[in-house]
Amino acid sequence: MPSPETFQIPKAPLRPLLVKELWEILGGRALWTMLVLTCPLVGYSFFQAVSLYGEASAAGLQSPVLASSLSPLDGILVPTLGASYVAVTLLFPFVAIRALGLEKESGALRLLVQMPYRSSTLIAAKLAAVLAAGVFSSIPAFSALVIWRLFGGHLSAPETLNLLFGHLLYGLLVGAIALFAASVSESAATAAIVTLAFTIGSWVLDFTVAGHPGLLELVANLSLTQVLHTFEQGQLSLGLVAGIGTAACGFAALATVWLPPGVHVRNKLVYSIACVLAVAIVLGLATQIRFSIDVTEDQRNSFPVADQRVLASLAGPLVVRVHLAPEDPRYADLQRNVLAKLERVLPNISVGLAGGRQSVGTNAGDDRYGEVEYNYDGRSDISRSTSPREILPLLYGLAGVSRPAPAPGGDYPGYPLVIRGEVALLWFFGGLPLCIALGWWWSRRLPIDYRKLQKEE
Amino acid sequence: MDRAFQLVPPGPPIQRNTQLPAESARASGQADDQVLLRVDSINKQYADEVVLADVAFGIQAGEIIGIIGPNGAGKTTLLEVLAGIVPAESSDVQWLGRPLPPSRRREAIFYLPDGVRPYQDQVVTRVLSFFADVYRRPADEVTRTIEAVSLTPVLNKRVNSLSKGYGRRLILALGLLTPHPLLLMDEPFDGFDLRQTSEIVGVLREEVSKGRTLALAIHQLLDAERVCDRFILLADGHVRGAGTLNDLRERTGLTSGSLEDMFLALT
Repeated sequence: MPSPETFQIPKAPLRPLLVKELWEILGGRALWTMLVLTCPLVGYSFFQAVSLYGEASAAGLQSPVLASSLSPLDGILVPTLGASYVAVTLLFPFVAIRALGLEKESGALRLLVQMPYRSSTLIAAKLAAVLAAGVFSSIPAFSALVIWRLFGGHLSAPETLNLLFGHLLYGLLVGAIALFAASVSESAATAAIVTLAFTIGSWVLDFTVAGHPGLLELVANLSLTQVLHTFEQGQLSLGLVAGIGTAACGFAALATVWLPPGVHVRNKLVYSIACVLAVAIVLGLATQIRFSIDVTEDQRNSFPVADQRVLASLAGPLVVRVHLAPEDPRYADLQRNVLAKLERVLPNISVGLAGGRQSVGTNAGDDRYGEVEYNYDGRSDISRSTSPREILPLLYGLAGVSRPAPAPGGDYPGYPLVIRGEVALLWFFGGLPLCIALGWWWSRRLPIDYRKLQKEE
Repeated sequence: MDRAFQLVPPGPPIQRNTQLPAESARASGQADDQVLLRVDSINKQYADEVVLADVAFGIQAGEIIGIIGPNGAGKTTLLEVLAGIVPAESSDVQWLGRPLPPSRRREAIFYLPDGVRPYQDQVVTRVLSFFADVYRRPADEVTRTIEAVSLTPVLNKRVNSLSKGYGRRLILALGLLTPHPLLLMDEPFDGFDLRQTSEIVGVLREEVSKGRTLALAIHQLLDAERVCDRFILLADGHVRGAGTLNDLRERTGLTSGSLEDMFLALT
């Protein structure tokens, strides 16, 4: 007697599923509306960035020192892509939710889950389509970069690609959250509220609790907006990339768990808890990865090359004890100018706050407040400076090595460009929206094969 | 017309590895005894409301079985539990005598829900192409299906602009493009007038003649009487009777009674 295996359907091809997902996301108005709304947002940010950069460049042309501070990464890329980030945070959830929410609402999901695809395959295909939509929705930002080059502006490929990669990862994370929200929600509207709770909630976290000590600081670090800061600083951090990837996979896995309608809720809850625990473990491991690459042209996240070489050879453990409150601006300076760079280059370093996570007020009577204690291989020294010019010699003294001679040349020249950006406004407020409207019209055409068929008839 | 359905390179169509159970049953001369699907003790409740209570019946290979009952009888829930897309408190389902857990139901059963209008922004051709490509159906088979359900006039229309009748025809076409031996259909004649219903009955009969088995949830008793070989009478989540029209007549003693008369007598 034949068993069920005798009519088991072989694995279905992936291509029709991917094509369907792409058409679904391209065919809807949400993506095109987002594109049109992003045009003025990105365009005006780009225009402002170019104008400010041009004004600063006028002074920079008179002074090489001022010129060296003119970096397109800070002046153009970050503010322009920052506008794109706002659009992704506020509008992209609606595009991503559509990938699953509409099928749920129309009942098509009940057909889809009967097809010979695993739930994970369905979610992966939807996530791929969402990612493609994310890239597609970056067209205004891409066009801004092209215009900047046409203006004669400088773009460093590693800096640019690193920042674009960061935004892509952020879009992936928002997309995965949106799919999870659509998977657990009965309607697209509820899914939108859930996703916006994540994205806008991150803003709220940043505005309200960032810079506060203790638990609030830990909570602030969970904010999605933190994801982009490292990329905007010109660092490619392996731990961060692994963390974002894990979080995105975690949300996609949760979406997979909640997708099949024929599974009891209690089973879904058990799988979800297991999934969350697994993600938490991997995230914990990812935070231990310190490897990062300084992709900036001016190597702002690293000490000078000669110092980097000597510091990298120091094998002993360096323990740094900081007598500062986390919200103290001096701690931020020390972190940015010294500690972050040391953590990148030294193989064995441990940094701790002496007063735990107390605030400035609680340390008011502490005589040692402001001191930073450096302990290397049993020898220690104290400094109140936040400048590498004072701290590096101190460390070389503790390690018993001589200070390296500075390497000649290699100074960052800066890229001043005196320009006005009004022309770009024509593109972002006229040309690009028109192209998008044409693109939307094209996406609404009949399938090519069908038109051929009609001609034949 | 063939080129309209080649979004993916043509590959071998997804086919069953063996004959359909009905075909093999006929070949061995055991069609009458061949129970394709055996259902025992399906229980389902939403909160405190019992929707299905100890539902048990069998589906013979190559038949059209009608699940008959008024609105709220539990027909849709029964089909969804059978298809494995709604969890039940208990459901013992056997396929050709072997257990078929919910996670594997989609290997044997495809369910066409009522009131579904999938992929509304897409044109009909693209939706059909999606199903045809997933199951690697040959283009001529797709063409035959389109002609069988008379979808040709609306191939270039978007799904959201279809009338209720054409929406039903699209869903039916999607079901016919699947290769599953057992097709469950919820209210397949809803939205059709008398002539159209008669036309669709012909399509379903044709499908059964190819060896498929159909289970239809119908609340219109006249439609059910016209198309079904056997009936399961469902009321308040309980099976009140099962069998052919003659079986039911014998059981109720209504020798010339209609399905409606017998349903009223048994419920």
